[in-house]
Amino acid sequence: MSLPRALQGTRVLDFTWVRAGPWATRWLGALGAEVIKVEWPENERGRQSGGNTTPRGHEQHFNTGGNFNDTNCNKLSVTLNVRSPRGKDLIRRLVSVSEAVIENFSSRVLRSWGLGYEELCALRPDIVYVSMSGFGHTGRHHHYKTFGPVAQAISGLTFLSGLPGKPPAGWGWSYLDDTGGLYGAMGVLTGIYHRNVTGEGQHIDLSQMIAGITLNGPAILDHTVNGRPSRREGFPPGNRTQWPGTPVLYNYRGPQAAPHNAYRTHPGGYNDWCVIACFSNGEWRRLVQLMGAPAWATVDEYADLAGRLRQQAQIDRAIEAWTSTQDKYALTRRCQKAGVRAMPVQSSEDRVEHDPQLRHRDMYLALEHPELGSKKLQNAPFKLSSTPAVNHRPGPLIGQHNRQVFEDILGLPHEDLVSGYEDGTFWPVNRPRYPYMTEMLK
Amino acid sequence: MSGPLSNLRVLELADEKGQFCGKLMADLGADVIKVEPTGGEATRSVGPFLDDTPDPNRSLSFWHYNTSKRGVTLDLESDEGRGLFRRLASTADIVLETFAPGYLASLDLGHETLGAANRKLIMCSLTPFGQSGPWRDYQSSDLLHMAAGGQMASSGYDDSDVPDAPPIAPGGGNAWHTGAHYAYMAIMAALVHRTTAGEGQHIDVSIHDACALSTESAVASWIYRNEVVIRQTGRHHAANPTPRTQYPTKDGKYVNALTGGGRLDPAYVRTLAEWFDPHGLAGDLKDERYRDPEVIADNAQHIVEEVLANFIANRNADDVYHEAQERGFPWGAVRAPDELLSDGHLEDREFWTEVEHPELGRTYTYPGSGAIFNGSPWRIYRRAPLIGEHNEEIFGEELGLSPEKLARLSDGGVI
Repeated sequence: MSLPRALQGTRVLDFTWVRAGPWATRWLGALGAEVIKVEWPENERGRQSGGNTTPRGHEQHFNTGGNFNDTNCNKLSVTLNVRSPRGKDLIRRLVSVSEAVIENFSSRVLRSWGLGYEELCALRPDIVYVSMSGFGHTGRHHHYKTFGPVAQAISGLTFLSGLPGKPPAGWGWSYLDDTGGLYGAMGVLTGIYHRNVTGEGQHIDLSQMIAGITLNGPAILDHTVNGRPSRREGFPPGNRTQWPGTPVLYNYRGPQAAPHNAYRTHPGGYNDWCVIACFSNGEWRRLVQLMGAPAWATVDEYADLAGRLRQQAQIDRAIEAWTSTQDKYALTRRCQKAGVRAMPVQSSEDRVEHDPQLRHRDMYLALEHPELGSKKLQNAPFKLSSTPAVNHRPGPLIGQHNRQVFEDILGLPHEDLVSGYEDGTFWPVNRPRYPYMTEMLK
Repeated sequence: MSGPLSNLRVLELADEKGQFCGKLMADLGADVIKVEPTGGEATRSVGPFLDDTPDPNRSLSFWHYNTSKRGVTLDLESDEGRGLFRRLASTADIVLETFAPGYLASLDLGHETLGAANRKLIMCSLTPFGQSGPWRDYQSSDLLHMAAGGQMASSGYDDSDVPDAPPIAPGGGNAWHTGAHYAYMAIMAALVHRTTAGEGQHIDVSIHDACALSTESAVASWIYRNEVVIRQTGRHHAANPTPRTQYPTKDGKYVNALTGGGRLDPAYVRTLAEWFDPHGLAGDLKDERYRDPEVIADNAQHIVEEVLANFIANRNADDVYHEAQERGFPWGAVRAPDELLSDGHLEDREFWTEVEHPELGRTYTYPGSGAIFNGSPWRIYRRAPLIGEHNEEIFGEELGLSPEKLARLSDGGVI
């Protein structure tokens, strides 16, 4: 018996593309919403984003992006020229049968299509409309353009990552696209809940960059309350809580601790590192015991946090001499068993292939994709006891569900679907059709 | 107008792992009651502190993550404390807890017990590794999650910037943020379900799972191409090295200027030339030969690494940022948190929030909300609670305990 899903019966009209927006609707789909992704091949640029993730031996085209498959599972895809008169009419009909509309265009795009919030409301008075732009729809810089790393730079997030005296290391991916996507999903869910309770819809105007600022709270309060400048000696302190030889200040990762760093492990490959952190003198003593109580570690000065903070550089070198002969997983097990906080630095290969906990949690289960074959998709990090989130369909082929959506949901006669392919409503007239489109029109 | 969650009561039993999820619900209007141990939650000892003076009521970290909540203290290991918690739970919509797996059940306060007494209750357990599995009882921290989740494998330096650099864990406590975002999402899904089904449920959220999900296409690069990404300064990890995007400025800062990915065409170069020329920094970009895309492709290294980098090196970061954006280039200054206070766009969106601290006779500026909810506001209602600030209000006025009883519980260390 399959359990019900939380968003069963909720239809979401999804104009999002590339990463942030599609990452939002992927989760709504996993939670049971019927997500209809609206695309148009002439200006599509999300199906091959995230670097080349098309498997070797496959031609790169709309339906072979691996990252697209993972980012867009659990959705239906329709292709529609929303600027044509027929397309305009159909999209308005789709709005009227949807509970939520979500998009991540620049701030004025949907309005220019005649689908601003007021117009959406005229079609569906209790609509929940979530816009996910870089700067939001209001404010003097609403028209600024961003993508993940730029939003991260502007929000202050990039600055907080790195070694002192070096350029910012920042984040090695679009953290604010992933996180912006979470806020998009959170917005739709909050809006739908509020509507279920009050009967009222609303426009939720999300700014990806500003959502990033809210993640720097303690650093901002340290300035607005204490007047401390963000640019200062020894900050940011790399993986440590404190850079040796600089004033002892809290640096916004949590409690002060030493040791607190990454250490090389055997056999010394690119991702052969583990992290160890001691948050109390007791945890430090347990680490010392585990290392065999070597003479260097048992000196009085190291018994207290202040001494360990002062001598971090030496301590870190000595710990690394100990870790560098050990495998990162074996070392993690030894440390954790002894009550010492440690974890391996895990690459994507490590997570998918070697992480016993992620395997136990079923984080990577395979689903069949018509072009890519059986491929692992990333699963939800939450287990809801009555309404589980499930990846139930792979990323859609472009326009795969035109017949299902326009005929079954909107009641369009089949001959109108056929004529819409001839007049460029559902697919550009001069662009070759995929075989499944021809099949659909029989 | 009231917030979208204004009809909900939340009991928060949470340390650094869950306090941000509680803040999101509280700032969105829910009545979040933070239930702390009698000495106060451990997160009160995390700095920075007001005037750098450590004190449980002066932690700025605690201030930020606990806005809009009310606070009570309660010893859950005493019989009377458990009894009071059960009474509170019978009035609650949501219990958010971050204890070690099994701890609340060992006190007979697990979902089985509380949910049986209150069928509508949604209980969310937000823990480092989830409620079961080989790592269930492992200890964690923000740094540990960033290592295991893959954040560190993707973040760090080009060899030319820092030879032999370690992987770098981005700062700010973002493992907790990531876990909290997914926990919030799961709670909202359970709430939506409850509006139709009428019943609550239990939610098991793993911060490790959440972090492992948050490195964009790194996992897809492995699954579809068996490629493991490398770390690069201030830009995307990649299977193979890509050109830098972060350039130093005259005022000792950096600008993130992406010019790759096929952007560099004749119109782009012409715009750069017209922008740089009045500053005498256009180099040879006005040359007619740059009307030819092939010439541009052949000279991309010169255009970007010599002319463009030199322009940025001779200008201040903020000027480059705004001038680029006005020309349609998605560039940004790498801003420090204290430089955000003067941003007019944030002022236009009424982002900064003045929060009153009546016991100090002061008002401080807090970061507000990431989105504008046009029908039900997301905003900070009040400062974080002092230790046990609402014991009397909640146990006395709302649960009806007499002043004598409250005094007795206080003397007995229950509250």
